[in-house]
Amino acid sequence: MENAAKGAESVVRRWLAYALESMVVHEQELGRLDAVAGDGDHGATMVRGLRAAHTAAKEANGSAGDLLVAAGAAFADAGGGASGALLGALITTVGRALSDGPYNLTTTTTALQAGLATVTRLGKAQPGDKTLIDALQPFVDALAGQPADTPLIVAWRTALPAAEAGVAATQTMVAKRGRAAKLGERSFGHPDPGAVSLTYLLQAMSTVWDENHPS
Amino acid sequence: MTKLYNDPADFRAELIEGFVAAYGRLVKRVPNASGVMAVDAPQPGKVALVIGGGSGHYPAFCGYVGPGLATAAVMGNIFTAPSAEQIYRVTKAVASQAGVLYCYGNYSGDVLNFDMAELRCQDEGIDARTVRVTDDVASAPRGQEDERRGIAGDFFVFKIAGASAARGDSLDEVERLARKANQRTRSFGVAFAGCTLPGQTAPLFTVAPGQMELGLGVHGEPGIQSSHMRPAREVADLLLATLLSDAPPRGGASVAVLLNGLGSTQYEELFVLYKDIHRRLLAEGLQPTQPIVAEMVTSLDMAGCSLTLCWLDDELTRLLNAPCASAAYTHA
Repeated sequence: MENAAKGAESVVRRWLAYALESMVVHEQELGRLDAVAGDGDHGATMVRGLRAAHTAAKEANGSAGDLLVAAGAAFADAGGGASGALLGALITTVGRALSDGPYNLTTTTTALQAGLATVTRLGKAQPGDKTLIDALQPFVDALAGQPADTPLIVAWRTALPAAEAGVAATQTMVAKRGRAAKLGERSFGHPDPGAVSLTYLLQAMSTVWDENHPS
Repeated sequence: MTKLYNDPADFRAELIEGFVAAYGRLVKRVPNASGVMAVDAPQPGKVALVIGGGSGHYPAFCGYVGPGLATAAVMGNIFTAPSAEQIYRVTKAVASQAGVLYCYGNYSGDVLNFDMAELRCQDEGIDARTVRVTDDVASAPRGQEDERRGIAGDFFVFKIAGASAARGDSLDEVERLARKANQRTRSFGVAFAGCTLPGQTAPLFTVAPGQMELGLGVHGEPGIQSSHMRPAREVADLLLATLLSDAPPRGGASVAVLLNGLGSTQYEELFVLYKDIHRRLLAEGLQPTQPIVAEMVTSLDMAGCSLTLCWLDDELTRLLNAPCASAAYTHA
């Protein structure tokens, strides 16, 4: 049990490392997507936030849940803006809910549902408003739809296409929340940068597990 | 193109350090926070006016900090709202028993972070409240004024709230006057060329040669409509006609006027434009009060300008005329 818990802390730290790496690679792409109807800073915000989150998780002690709480707070502070506040709150909420574990499909799904509720409450967005919720909600639903005894790794991989489909669906949505909402129609035809970056975060977790369990 | 920077990631920290070094007679750094406060802050018994937003808009927001104007400004990264943590720290540094008023342009990132900081301060017993600036008529139609974003009209709302706080008004009163100023303020802008973030090689958006974008946002968000470039007097007519058709009810005949440059439009061009704006205001029976033709809310190196009108009454005029000192605006 102790080893499993230690493993979970390492997973959180490596997840943040991969997420940061991925966001650095996609920084310009996210910036361009954001510039379509926003201010073009989404890639920079994500990189800045993840850099701080990664450092915070490296330096923090405690359970995997504690590391996520620390990482979320650091993300919010360094990221700034709406993305920083929302994703920071998401990571912190998931960390609080997961706490000391156990870390399995049931607890992870419950934690992500709590995170989704926090983001919805703070951001006041609904599914279909062209936000990160349009990737997160289908992913969480796809996790919840699997048998409780499914290994988390398998369930996560099975659910990822739902997030990716959610991103694709945002292309034909018109933004209703956030700064992009002021430009309305101009956002049509492009995916929402927040949904895209959220999916990179989910994919990074899969990369950590690929490393542990190459298929 | 933004040309002067070192590491783009350090832009905010370096600009704050330089600003405080240059204007130490008016402001001081808030310890351990991304912000500046007036040299005379905190002031026991007086409401603290805390403003803020992303960087890239100088003199918004640090340039408005000083005696008689804003008590403190929280500064985010370029075009990014400051985090709730930084807003909280700045608030703690300046809050008094009289309370705190947050005043900022209505953008989702700023709203989220200021609201989170406000809740945290209220939990600690600080009476913190909020008035959001919503002056940009291009960002939402009439009837949805609360949805509009804040642009150069920030300045008049900050000036009036700051003067009210400085003379010792209660938080109820400072909040009422800030809200009233906002309800009577309208702005509309045009852009001729986009802006480029430090470290980027391409502008955030471009305007086709011979065209102008109407209704731009100060973050380089594209405008709501493109139009062919016109002579200055027609641009003056367009700006003014748009604002007058959106005039607040019971506005009165006296208006504060701000013709604002967005970063790389020449002051002398602005005066050419202002000549026709001034004439046209008089022709409409409106009396321009203390007009300002200057860069007050910029968008990095964007080319363009915006026109702001604030319909005054006696109590707002008194506050507008009250003395203040800040890096961007001083009134003796």
